[in-house]
Amino acid sequence: MISKILVANRGEVALRVVRACREIGIRSVAVYSTADADSLHRLLADEAICIGPPQATSSYLNIPAIISAAELSGADAIHPGYGFLAENARFAEICEACNIKFLGPTSSVIARMGDKASARRVAAAAGVPVTPGSDGLCRNAAEVKRVGVEVGYPLVIKASAGGGGKGMRVVDSEGEVNAAYVSASREAGAAFGDGSVYVERYMSELRHVEVQVLADGRGRMAIFPERDCSVQRRYQKLVEESPAPDLPEAAREGMKDAAAALVDSLGYEGAGTVEFVYSGGEFYFIEMNTRLQVEHPVTEVVTGVDLVAEQISVASGEGLSVAGNVPSRGHGMEFRINAEDPRRNFLPQTGPVEFYNPPGGPGVRVDSHLYAGFKIVPYYDSLLAKLIVHAQTRDAALRRGARALDEFAVAGLETTLPLHLAILEDEDFRRGGVPTTFLAERELKNDGRGLPRLAAIDRPSA
Amino acid sequence: MKDDGSLSEPDKETLPLEDVGKLVELLAESGVGQIRVKQGDLEITVKAKTEVPPAGTPVEPFAAPVVAETVPEPGPAERNGGLHLVRSPVVGTFYRAPAPGEESYVEVGDHVGAGQTLCIVEAMKLMNEILADVSGEVVEVLVENSKGVEYDQPLFRIRPEG
Repeated sequence: MISKILVANRGEVALRVVRACREIGIRSVAVYSTADADSLHRLLADEAICIGPPQATSSYLNIPAIISAAELSGADAIHPGYGFLAENARFAEICEACNIKFLGPTSSVIARMGDKASARRVAAAAGVPVTPGSDGLCRNAAEVKRVGVEVGYPLVIKASAGGGGKGMRVVDSEGEVNAAYVSASREAGAAFGDGSVYVERYMSELRHVEVQVLADGRGRMAIFPERDCSVQRRYQKLVEESPAPDLPEAAREGMKDAAAALVDSLGYEGAGTVEFVYSGGEFYFIEMNTRLQVEHPVTEVVTGVDLVAEQISVASGEGLSVAGNVPSRGHGMEFRINAEDPRRNFLPQTGPVEFYNPPGGPGVRVDSHLYAGFKIVPYYDSLLAKLIVHAQTRDAALRRGARALDEFAVAGLETTLPLHLAILEDEDFRRGGVPTTFLAERELKNDGRGLPRLAAIDRPSA
Repeated sequence: MKDDGSLSEPDKETLPLEDVGKLVELLAESGVGQIRVKQGDLEITVKAKTEVPPAGTPVEPFAAPVVAETVPEPGPAERNGGLHLVRSPVVGTFYRAPAPGEESYVEVGDHVGAGQTLCIVEAMKLMNEILADVSGEVVEVLVENSKGVEYDQPLFRIRPEG
């Protein structure tokens, strides 16, 4: 049983967990930095404790402060949200040692899946297809070249500790390997404190498709309809939808079966997401995120399952309310509204929100910590709000999304709202199934009537 | 991950060397200046190096001025009446004395020197000594003994001397 949950996060996800706790009847404890004293998660939680100064390393990443706050408040569980300490195996282990239930899998599962090279091995052992590439780490450029001979070029060198495109280099031929190996390893070392890299065959024209799972740690699991998250900018997802448009049934079922096999082999507990790349009918494992994802509401609107409530139920030992392949109804789509100016190279925006009016009406959900007067500070990520729409068909979801985005008013700073309106007008996006290069090949312009539209970027031809 | 985690069982008689290493890591991570652990008869104190150690003195424990760096604008209380606030640099439990039943480090009316221990804030079984960052008279103790304190919470009001 859990009686009180400390939410070790901020922003909309902290609010999401506080709301779930309130509905279930579990007390919630917010932790906040001095920069977040006026934030909604602090104000809406049952209790709140200031844990440090604005810098995340001294507050939201400060393990002793968070554990102390849990002990002071008598919280018997910690929900890590996403980001910050959500995939920190050491934090999970300290929670375990302090008898605080960490809402997620065990620290050893987090560690096995957190290291990308190790995760590839675990997945392959579970019979999950992995991209052809190195077996584990590449310790020098010669090992990368050996893989190149086996699987062919282009290759991509990736940081084992990595994510977000850091320490990643695409190599088109053997001649480029030496320089790329050195720079990828150096970048990985600087970003993650670990310069280990591995290598995979590079696939172009690929889509990012992922499978949400829930498991109770005792062999019972639920596999959810897939999400397509191919609309990305620099490896940051911007639009997610479910089901994935125009995906062959065999691939859809194959991914779900692969995710189930992996989760089963791990003895997994809690919510997780198995990510795949999909290209030309084939799919390969990329990584598993051992936490709640930003885009989890897409799955919630098409299945009616409250994923955070299920996480809490599993952690309480009460098990899952769903099992097997969870059926989906209609089409769900999420748009991430970030404090970035899409017309000025996504320049981060800070300052007070002068006016805020989120959309409403049928099939519209907004998860956000914004209110008029709230000040956006430069210390944390730029996510302001998630707009999630649900409708009977993808076409109807596109129309509903455009309607809701049009209603959505945020004044005082630039946001990605106009970019999303333009994405919804793009022919390729409307057709569905765009590759991850979709946004990189386009830029935001105004049409003759001043409406936001995407235009192909003119590249000087080679 | 076994050797990358928390401290060993607290009821062990001795404190193994690797745990001292972990204490040092924890000290760096938490941003406090000094950590003291008591296990039975064994007591270990780990102190952080201050940024600019005063010449000729041993390594000084962390004093409240470091907090002042992260909270550069003094609150109204700090300006009002020229009183100085000592704030908690960590989340934890406030103790006025080194151990239960012992005398408090300071009482209202006491004169304290900069660097003198005012109280302990215990976080994760670690005793963080909070030091005066100014010399002066203790005018008010703002927190009750053994109550929880937040980061940046005012603990003492001191009337600075000179």
